[in-house]
Amino acid sequence: MSSQELTISGYFKNIYDGISSCLKGMFITIQYVFFKKHVTVQYPEEREELPERSRSRLFNDVQNCIACNQCAVACPVDCIYIASTRRAKDAPELKTATGTAIRLDLTQFVIDEALCCYCGLCTTVCPTECLTHTKDFEISMYAIEGMKYNYLDSEVKSWRTRLVKPEYL
Amino acid sequence: MNENFSNQEKLKTDLLTINMGPQHPATHGVLRVEIKTDSEIVVQAIPHIGYLHRCFEKHAENLDYRGIIPFVDRMDYLAAMSMEWGYVLAVEKMLKTEIPLRAEYIRVLVCELQRIASHLMFFGTYLIDLGAFSPFLYAFQKREWILRLFEELSGARLLYNYIWIGGVWNDITDQQLKGIEKFCHEMDLEIAKYHKLVSGNSILINRLKNVGVMDQNLCFDYGLTGPILRAAGVKWDLRKNRPYSIYDKFNFEIPVGEGFKGTLGDCYDRYMVRMLEMEESLKIIRQCLEGIEAGDIQAKVAKNIKLPAGEIYSKSECPRGELGYHLISDGGKTPYRLKIKSSCFTHVSALPAVAAGQLIADFVATIGSIDIVLGEVDR
Repeated sequence: MSSQELTISGYFKNIYDGISSCLKGMFITIQYVFFKKHVTVQYPEEREELPERSRSRLFNDVQNCIACNQCAVACPVDCIYIASTRRAKDAPELKTATGTAIRLDLTQFVIDEALCCYCGLCTTVCPTECLTHTKDFEISMYAIEGMKYNYLDSEVKSWRTRLVKPEYL
Repeated sequence: MNENFSNQEKLKTDLLTINMGPQHPATHGVLRVEIKTDSEIVVQAIPHIGYLHRCFEKHAENLDYRGIIPFVDRMDYLAAMSMEWGYVLAVEKMLKTEIPLRAEYIRVLVCELQRIASHLMFFGTYLIDLGAFSPFLYAFQKREWILRLFEELSGARLLYNYIWIGGVWNDITDQQLKGIEKFCHEMDLEIAKYHKLVSGNSILINRLKNVGVMDQNLCFDYGLTGPILRAAGVKWDLRKNRPYSIYDKFNFEIPVGEGFKGTLGDCYDRYMVRMLEMEESLKIIRQCLEGIEAGDIQAKVAKNIKLPAGEIYSKSECPRGELGYHLISDGGKTPYRLKIKSSCFTHVSALPAVAAGQLIADFVATIGSIDIVLGEVDR
């Protein structure tokens, strides 16, 4: 500050302080060049395994879905669209993997992944645990309409364990 | 020709208006500051906010109480756990829910880790503002570890939806607790390194001391909270002064500014208070690891939460200051009104008072030192 008188000894002390504290810092940074392990992951050539609970693209196993509509109610951004019809009385009885009887026929199960906020609330209310988050996070697209996944579609049905790999690998 | 230029009366002088932001690396988000400068000196600074306004308060009126949690996450996306906790505290106080002890411990644990992560973010980005790049990389390595732990716990890196009404979503494993213990040890060494590398650096000290002084009176006038208030020398921390949850069980100090290198409440004090707070957080985490017991993590809460009619104001201490939720319920499934008192909003409002008379470069240092997140300013 200008209020302080600058003496000759103070002048040289300033220079000494500046250089010595910079050298101290340089000593720490140079350790990172030679002695520390590299931490950068060279994505996409290298991939880290995501934790088990990672919340990425949603997947609905429509065979086990009882069209209870709870996920659509729980969704804070309303991005799940479900339609169903009452199952005919004379139709053969269907059961989910956990043994719950299916009384409604699912005619539409669409999730707009572009709207989805990946909060995970829909998966927690699902009684048959058919709606789950997958670890597939590479779902970017050129057209936003493509982000509407219809889980009754046979191609989308088989996406449970899909992980998109880059083409050159 | 010489005559024309020397004639001062004919030359018009005026203040130069410069727009800083909304796309400016030093404003940490979409803050636009309109500054009027007299050569290099800032005469007036007018912050313009609202570029990140997402109507969360209005949205909340149409959402059930569980569905609001992902939205409050997105306010302060660098300290989402603390945002959730503040909201959940308000709802639980209305419901009069008893929270299991293990859930309380996990909440303290994750929120203090979040405080460290948030302060590491401040440390890194602030030094980038001032021109030092490598501390940013070191800080992010440690922050990355915390985010990874949160991803294992909740499934997301930033927007967790982890703290639920009545408890927490997932239980923490013993292995993770051991990992946190190891992390605490590493973090001690790391903070010592930061002090050696940065805090004692004479370039940084000369850059920050006596710059952007926010003294006690200014803090009281504008209602500034958190590290800024503590840097001005006021020993005020909600965790200590109005203990919520189980914070009364822990032994920790409130670091306050002492004018470490210059004036009380300057940029260096604010920087230093945050660094000291990280050490205090580590203390709390260690006590948590000792005290945590096996038990439930979720209290019994009705499937469709309906709050009794009434209103509540609950506040909690977030990394950036006091966060308040004013919740009004009419007895229905959705809140009648949810008003959020964010600390960053009040901190931005104090900018013009500090900016007048500063150099432009010092103004950048001041904006960085109040550590705003625009998501919380605009909501």
